[in-house]
Amino acid sequence: MAYQENEKGFVETMKKFTIVMLILIGIYLALPIFATALYAFSTEWNKTILPEGLTFEWIRTLFQDARFIEAFGRSVLLSGSAVFISILFIVPAIFVIVLYFPALEKWFQASVVMVYAFPGIILSVGIIRFYSGTSLPMILAVTGVYVISVLPFMYQGTRNSLRNVQGRQLMDAAELLGASKMDAFRKVLLPSVYPGLFVASLLSFSVLFGEFVLINLVVGSRFETVQIYLMAKLSTSGHIASAIVFVYIVLMGILTLVMATLTKKAKGMRHA
Amino acid sequence: MSKVVLKDVHKQYKDAHVLSGIDMNIEDGEFVTLLGPSGCGKSTILRILSGLTEATGGNVMIDGKDMKKVPPKNRQVGMVFQSYALFPNMTVYENVAFGLKMRKQPVNEIAEHVEKMINLVGLKEKKEAFPHELSGGQQQRVALARSLVVRPKVLLLDEPLSALDAQIRKHLQVELRTIQRELKMTMILVTHDQEEAMTVSDRIFVMNQGKIAQEGTPFEIYTQPKTEFVANFIGRYNVFTKEQIENLLGGKMTILAAKYAIRPESIQFQPQTSSYPIRAIAGDSIMNGNVIRTTFHADNKQFTMEQLHHQSSAFEKGTEYQLFVEPKDVIALS
Ligand SMILES: Nc1ncnc2c1ncn2[C@@H]1O[C@H](COP(=O)(O)OP(=O)(O)O)[C@@H](O)[C@H]1O
Ligand SMILES: [Mg+2]
Repeated sequence: MAYQENEKGFVETMKKFTIVMLILIGIYLALPIFATALYAFSTEWNKTILPEGLTFEWIRTLFQDARFIEAFGRSVLLSGSAVFISILFIVPAIFVIVLYFPALEKWFQASVVMVYAFPGIILSVGIIRFYSGTSLPMILAVTGVYVISVLPFMYQGTRNSLRNVQGRQLMDAAELLGASKMDAFRKVLLPSVYPGLFVASLLSFSVLFGEFVLINLVVGSRFETVQIYLMAKLSTSGHIASAIVFVYIVLMGILTLVMATLTKKAKGMRHA
Repeated sequence: MSKVVLKDVHKQYKDAHVLSGIDMNIEDGEFVTLLGPSGCGKSTILRILSGLTEATGGNVMIDGKDMKKVPPKNRQVGMVFQSYALFPNMTVYENVAFGLKMRKQPVNEIAEHVEKMINLVGLKEKKEAFPHELSGGQQQRVALARSLVVRPKVLLLDEPLSALDAQIRKHLQVELRTIQRELKMTMILVTHDQEEAMTVSDRIFVMNQGKIAQEGTPFEIYTQPKTEFVANFIGRYNVFTKEQIENLLGGKMTILAAKYAIRPESIQFQPQTSSYPIRAIAGDSIMNGNVIRTTFHADNKQFTMEQLHHQSSAFEKGTEYQLFVEPKDVIALS
C-alpha cells in the first residue's frame, strides 16, 4: 500500500514537472514570436520596454509591395507544384507498394532515410555541379529535388492512413462486392484515406514553403521566393521583415489548424 | 453436384507449405466450419476460394465451374472479415447498397433489397449512421447485410465474431444460423473456437498445419475424434498412451492404437455392467458454468472428470475414490 502511495506521489511530481517544462519551452518559443508579431505592428520601439504606438502601416506597405506579392506567388507555385507532382506520381506508387507488395516497402524506407540524411547544402552543390552545364533550367532541378524531399512525409502519411483504414482489406471487400480495382480505388480507398493524404500534402507544402538553403544557393535572387525576399528585407527594414514573419506565422497557423482538424476526423473514421 | 469443391489445393510461400493437399466438398445450402488453431491456413483457404490469393496447386470449383481464370469480382463469392472492413466514408445504407450499385441494378430495386436486408439484420434505426458510430456487433451486422444483399453463391466468414464479447458473440451465432437457414445460403465459417463450430455447423473440417485433420458432423467430431490433435482441440479429452491406460484400467486394450482418449464427462461415479474400475486420488475441483471439473491422480498420470453441477458428488481433496469408465468410451486414436 505504502509503495503504491509512493508510486502515485512520484507520478504526480513527474506530471507537475512536465507541465512546468512545457510552459517554459512554450515561453521560450512564444516570446520571440510574440515580440516579432508586436514589432510588425509597432510605430517606434527603441528605448521603451513596450512599443510606443501600434500601426497597420508595415503590413499595408508589405501587401502594397508588388515584389512581395510576386515572391509569395512564386513560393506557392514552387511548393504547390512540387507537392502536386508528388501526389500525381509518387503517391500512387506508395499505394501499390503498401497494398500489394509490402515486401518492397523496405526500399522505400531506405530512400526515406537517404532523404533525411542529405543536408540541403550538399544537395545544392551536387545539383549545381551536375545540372548547371545542362539545358535543364535550375528552377526545374530544384522542383525535382523538392518532389523527392517531401517523400518521407508523403510516404508516412499515406502509409499510416492506409494502415488505419486497413486499405488492403477495403480493396478486397469492394472487389468481392463486384467492383473493379479502379472502382474500388476511386469509390472506397481514396475517400477513406483522403484526410490523411490531405494532411501529408499540407505538411509537405509548409515544409517546402519554408525551405531556404537549396533555393537560395541554386537559384538565388533569379527566382525570389518569400524566404529570399525576407532575407533581403532583413537588412533594410526590421519592421517589414517582422511583418513578413507575422504573415508567415499566420499562414502556418491556419495550415496547422486545418491539419489538426482533419487528423481528428481521420481518427474518428479509423474505428470503422 | 457439390456447390463448392476444392481438389488437392496447395499453397506455398517461398519454402513454407501453408496448405498441403486440401480436399473439400460442400453441398448447396450447407453451413460448414473450418476449425483450427491460429496459423493453420484457414484464412488462406477462404482467400483462395474468393480468388484474392492464388493457389500454387489444385483446383477450385464453384457450381461445377473451374475458377482458375475467374477474377474475384466475378466469382459471386461473398466475404465477411473479422475486422468488418466497412467502408468508413459511407453510411450503413450506402455500405449495403454498394454491391448492387457495382452490379448496375436499377435504383428502385436497390432500395427495396437494401431496406429488406437492413431490416433482416435488425439495423433499421441505424440506416443513416456511419460505421464509426456503431458498436462492434452492429458493424458486423452491416458487413453481413452488405455481403448477403448481392446473393453470393457462397458466403465466406473469416472469424467474424472473434472480436466481439462473449454475450454478443453467442447471440450473433444463433442469429447467423437463423439467417443462413432462412436464405438457404451456402456458408463457410472460419473459427478457432470449438464451441462456436459445434453450435452453428452442419459439418466441421478440423484443420492442423495446412491439412484437414478430420471432417464430420459436430456430433461425430466430438464423440469420435480420430487423432490426438483433434481430441485435444475439440474437447478437454484425457489422452493416454497404451501403457498408461492399461495401468489405469487394469486390463489389456483389445484395439491397438497409438493413443487412447477418454472424455471427461464419460468418467462416472456409478458402475455400469461392463465398466472398467479406476482408483484415483482427487485433486482440485473447479466450477465452470454448470459443470464441475475435478482433477484426479492415478500412478503418475493426471486426468479430469466432469459432472453436471446439480448431480455431482463432492470429492474430498486427497481422498482415494473408485471411478468407472465404460469400454465404449475409451476411444482409440491414430
Ligand atoms: N502473404 C503471406 N506471405 C507469407 N506467409 C503467409 C502469407 N499469408 C499467410 N502466410 C502464412 O500462412 C500461414 C497460414 O495463415 P492463415 O491462413 O492466415 O492462418 P489462419 O487463418 O488459420 O490463422 C501462416 O503461418 C502465415 O504466416
Ligand atoms: Mg485467419
